[in-house]
Amino acid sequence: MIQITGLTKVYRKGAPPALLDLTFDARPGLVTALLGAEGAGKSTALRLMLELERGQGVTLFDGRRYRRLRRPEREVGVLLPGPGEGVAAVAGHPGLRAHSHLRMLAAAVGVPARRADELLEQTRLAAVAGQRLRTFSPGMHRRLALAAALLGDPGTLLLDGPTEGLSPRNVEWFHFFLRSFAVAGGTVLVTTRTPQEASQLADRVVTLDHGRLVADQPVAEFRRTRLSREVAVRGPQMARLADLLVSQGAEVRRDGSVGLAVAGIDRTEIGELAYRHGILLHELADRVVEQPAPRVVLPTASGRSGHLRVRPAAEAEPGPDPAAEPVTVPVPVVAPGIERVPAPVTEPGAPTAREPEPVPDTEAATTPQRRAPRRQGDASLPTRALPVAVVAAALPALGSPVPGTPAPRLAEPGQVGAAIEPAPTVAVDRLFRDDLLPAADSARVRTRGRHESTDLLADDTVRLRRLTSGATAASTAASAASSAPSSAPATTDDHRSE
Amino acid sequence: MRALAYELRRLRGLRSTWLLIAAVLLGDVAVAAVLAGQAPDGPLAAPVGVRLLTAAVPLIPLPFAALGAGVLGALSYGHEVRHPGLPASLVSYPRRVRLLLAKLLVVGLVAAGLALATLLLDTVAVHLALPGGVTVAAWAEPAALSARVSEALTGAGLSGLSDLPGVLAPLALVAGHGVPAALLAFVLLAVVAAWTGVLTASLTRSAAAGVLLLCALPPLLESGVALLLRRTGRPWLARAAELLPFQSGIEWAYGGAHGTAAGSAALTDPALLVAVSAPAAVLLLAALLVQAGRRAL
Repeated sequence: MIQITGLTKVYRKGAPPALLDLTFDARPGLVTALLGAEGAGKSTALRLMLELERGQGVTLFDGRRYRRLRRPEREVGVLLPGPGEGVAAVAGHPGLRAHSHLRMLAAAVGVPARRADELLEQTRLAAVAGQRLRTFSPGMHRRLALAAALLGDPGTLLLDGPTEGLSPRNVEWFHFFLRSFAVAGGTVLVTTRTPQEASQLADRVVTLDHGRLVADQPVAEFRRTRLSREVAVRGPQMARLADLLVSQGAEVRRDGSVGLAVAGIDRTEIGELAYRHGILLHELADRVVEQPAPRVVLPTASGRSGHLRVRPAAEAEPGPDPAAEPVTVPVPVVAPGIERVPAPVTEPGAPTAREPEPVPDTEAATTPQRRAPRRQGDASLPTRALPVAVVAAALPALGSPVPGTPAPRLAEPGQVGAAIEPAPTVAVDRLFRDDLLPAADSARVRTRGRHESTDLLADDTVRLRRLTSGATAASTAASAASSAPSSAPATTDDHRSE
Repeated sequence: MRALAYELRRLRGLRSTWLLIAAVLLGDVAVAAVLAGQAPDGPLAAPVGVRLLTAAVPLIPLPFAALGAGVLGALSYGHEVRHPGLPASLVSYPRRVRLLLAKLLVVGLVAAGLALATLLLDTVAVHLALPGGVTVAAWAEPAALSARVSEALTGAGLSGLSDLPGVLAPLALVAGHGVPAALLAFVLLAVVAAWTGVLTASLTRSAAAGVLLLCALPPLLESGVALLLRRTGRPWLARAAELLPFQSGIEWAYGGAHGTAAGSAALTDPALLVAVSAPAAVLLLAALLVQAGRRAL
């Protein structure tokens, strides 16, 4: 059991945090994957867990910090990429033979040399045990590093990109090994870059973006929300086929000049349909498409106290220089009625309350600005209080599968004021849609794309909820159903005009 | 204990260790043989004898064996920096200190062994390579023997080294007046150099930088200490020159006449021993302090 609480790392003062308040658990018997693009902070997180780097936050391995473990190698096996970039990472000194390398580490761990030889057998390196490490391929290096991590027979494995750049065979071997390790009751925490790998390997997927946790889902939910199956069809008569498919209720989009990507209908059905109508097909294949990862927009301290700088989202169009207008950052949606309650500024009951600011002075800097615009909204928009509060009350009732999971990490109080990107609404839309409560998400995602209008509503309501989350709400769920739709468009317009 | 076992296995498993030791010994023998071949006729002076046995080449900051031991130490530390075996298990300070001490111990023992092997091989080489005209004082005259050696010999019922069988003739080379002390100091120098190599590499986190720093230390120290002592008027420089060849190299190159004859202080002079081992102690302290602020060795 690994309990990770509030890992935070800021490399330079004023720079965006490499990792911000990462909190999750890795449970025994499960493979937990830490998923994120390059630079998302996966390796930093792992190094912080082991306290190889300085930072904030606490990681407990069965209740103790790593450096307080009496014999860390016996309890936690660690595979970090060795020196060398990516694939070129080596497991040890190139002049050592594999068995002497492993026996040397066995001596350091305090296990007999016999154990090293056993592990060479287990990792299928026994045949090359007498070779020097400079002759080893990346896959062999990785397996040797795994053998080194397993020397003390630990119950927990921490692996940083174990399959990066390996051949499919080696990847398969690694997956098999890690899965069986977890099945035997071990705790496995592994980082990966590709969602496909995460879905194959893990039981639980924690998604990081720009150092923040954007989702913490069981793998089934992850597959549903982040990976979608579709069928690639190619042939000369695609327009006709597309019409037929649409009439069957499938979702069809063009894929290149002579191709279609079809979702919502089985491959065999497409083939039969085409056959019945005498349509020639050149290709008919299943594939898995990755949904865009949720993104976060980072508020950053400019280094000058009292000023905020906003970094545009990756997919946002380059807007006006964000730093040029630091103080006039608007608040997207105001929650007027709520403001009268003294609580909302800190939003105590919200699941987001456990996310502190990266740097203490950021919080200090944002707080006054956050208040000012809200007060204005308070006066101008008094009628919107009811629906907002109602949604906030209704959503917890839906229940979330995981305590304290993905939820509104984005819309955390201190960031709301700052998180307005200067970009068009598309980005905003995407931004918020990907970051829903798990309950709302699972209910809605299946219909995503087909019912755009309801989708939009959901987005707005959720956004509202987020801003007011934890706020007091005395209204009933029944009135929420009726009033939310009417208020949502208004808020959208309002937000965009601001 | 585990750290010691680890370090021993590490040192044994690397080919570079054995290559380095072999290279040092070969170089020693070759230099000793060449120097012995150039020795002038007549009785062999004790300082010259020491220089022959330790294969000290002028203008190299340290004798070969000490240099080799230092490089071994620096590589030993550089290995941990470049290829940390289990980086995560070295996060805690006591473990790092334990590994550092294990390294010092193992490398120090290896250095002492290397110095002794050097002396042994050089004695044989010098004995074989000395021209016929050169006489070793200790060979013929019992008066030239150091006190301890003559005591041991009289205890055994011998009046001089010439009574011993011919196979042991090289013993005469190391038995001269004041020579054994110089040879002990040589072993000490090799050990200190090895420690210095480990510690400089530890401070710079790089084997190459560690070796460079190790080479730079003796000239700096020597000139500094010599300057200091010359001012206070203590004449140990000449004898130290047998061990630390750099200064003597300068004198040799610039024709300084005053050096060689003036020596009177013994090499076991506490001042000299302190001067040799003080840098290692200071470096150790610095390394321990620096380690406290690090997360990796």
